Amino acid sequence: MPRSEHTSLPITTGLRRVLVGVFIVFLFLVLFLPRQSQEWLGQVGGPLGIILEGPLQVVASIQDSLEETWSHYIALQHVWEENQNLKLEIQNLQGEQNRLREQAIVGRDFQRLSIYQETAPMTTLAAQIIGRNVSNWYRAIVIDKGARDGIRAEMGVITDAGVVGRVVRVNSMTSVVLLLSDPNIAITGMIQASRDEGIIQGTPQGNIRMKYLPPLSPVQIGDAIVTSGLTDDFPRGLHIGQIQQVTKAATDLFQSGEVTPIVDFSKLEGVLVITSFQPPISVESPPSPETLAAP
Amino acid sequence: MLVLLQTMLCVATVVVQATLSSVLSINNVYPDLCLVLACLAGFLSNEYKGLVMGLTVGLLQDLLTPGGIGLNLLLKGLTGALAGMTTHTVSTVTTAAVAIVTLVLSLGCGLASLIVAYPDIKGSETFHAISWILVPQSLYQSFLAAGIFWLTHKFRHSFGVVHFAQGRR
Repeated sequence: MPRSEHTSLPITTGLRRVLVGVFIVFLFLVLFLPRQSQEWLGQVGGPLGIILEGPLQVVASIQDSLEETWSHYIALQHVWEENQNLKLEIQNLQGEQNRLREQAIVGRDFQRLSIYQETAPMTTLAAQIIGRNVSNWYRAIVIDKGARDGIRAEMGVITDAGVVGRVVRVNSMTSVVLLLSDPNIAITGMIQASRDEGIIQGTPQGNIRMKYLPPLSPVQIGDAIVTSGLTDDFPRGLHIGQIQQVTKAATDLFQSGEVTPIVDFSKLEGVLVITSFQPPISVESPPSPETLAAP
Repeated sequence: MLVLLQTMLCVATVVVQATLSSVLSINNVYPDLCLVLACLAGFLSNEYKGLVMGLTVGLLQDLLTPGGIGLNLLLKGLTGALAGMTTHTVSTVTTAAVAIVTLVLSLGCGLASLIVAYPDIKGSETFHAISWILVPQSLYQSFLAAGIFWLTHKFRHSFGVVHFAQGRR
């Protein structure tokens, strides 16, 4: 094929320059045209814009994702450290929250005891429990008050709910309190409704029994048991528990019953030791003959 | 110095016994750590050391126990001494031997405590106390003593203070 066929429209260099010059003049003219007259350019650019729109969006999205990834990668290095710090802070705050909650609970218990201590008709000394069950064969607690604080053996120990037990050993700074559920403790109690008296004693199983109830006592399940005040360690009327079960065999002289204690011994944190109390009923001396003879 | 360390160990044992008994308890049965300590002192050393450690820890335990002073002192001292004596009669103190001797001593010690603590106990209550407290507690203590002995035996070279009675006494 001859070479001349490829160059069927020969454009000389001079003509090319003229065309470029005309085009530039045309562009300037377009720029100087009024804006309304430029609308036709928009109509021409519309289809071109559609053609460009797709690739532009693709490139833009790639760019965005790259920027996002890069920025996240850079940011993640800080985020990881921040995350560790936050986790540590959360742990600290949880610990702090737990400590405050514990303080609030303990404080609430002791506040309750304190309120009861102020209103109770006896002198008491608040004590904290610092140990329990040092031996397997006794149900006992160790409190943080001892002989130095005026504690003596045989003093009664209570909470605002009711009777806990009795002090059996006093060291200089600590004391050992035998709980009501131990078989080695016995206190006098009575049925609150019928006023029938009996002996409250623990069992080796850790339960509490009320023994030596009169055979004709109308004791019923659910009856409240209170201290009778016949012994020197507890005043009358302190709550001990409720009758859970009544037993009386045909050959028995007395009735007895299982008692559910009002105090949960396993959850005790603070107690009150009764240091002294006034008898609830004051016994006045009988009138002298001179008084009676006087007009 | 060694006496001070042993006394501190006794104090720490009683404190742990008084404060962490609820944590250590299984079904309301918890080990008598003082007895375990007395036994181990006897096994790992000799009857003299077992006696002294037993008397010390027993005295401390008595101070925080409702019963009269003397019961734990006597029982723990005796237990430590008996545990030490077994190292004379048993040629090699193995973990199994420790477990068996601790079990026997725990049962004896527990029975004596039971009789002293509950003098007026009835037959059914005695059965309950033996089957639900004494036997499980003795087994627990024997398991604990054997476990601690095994660990101490295994790492004795690391501790460097343990003197065994295997023909070197």
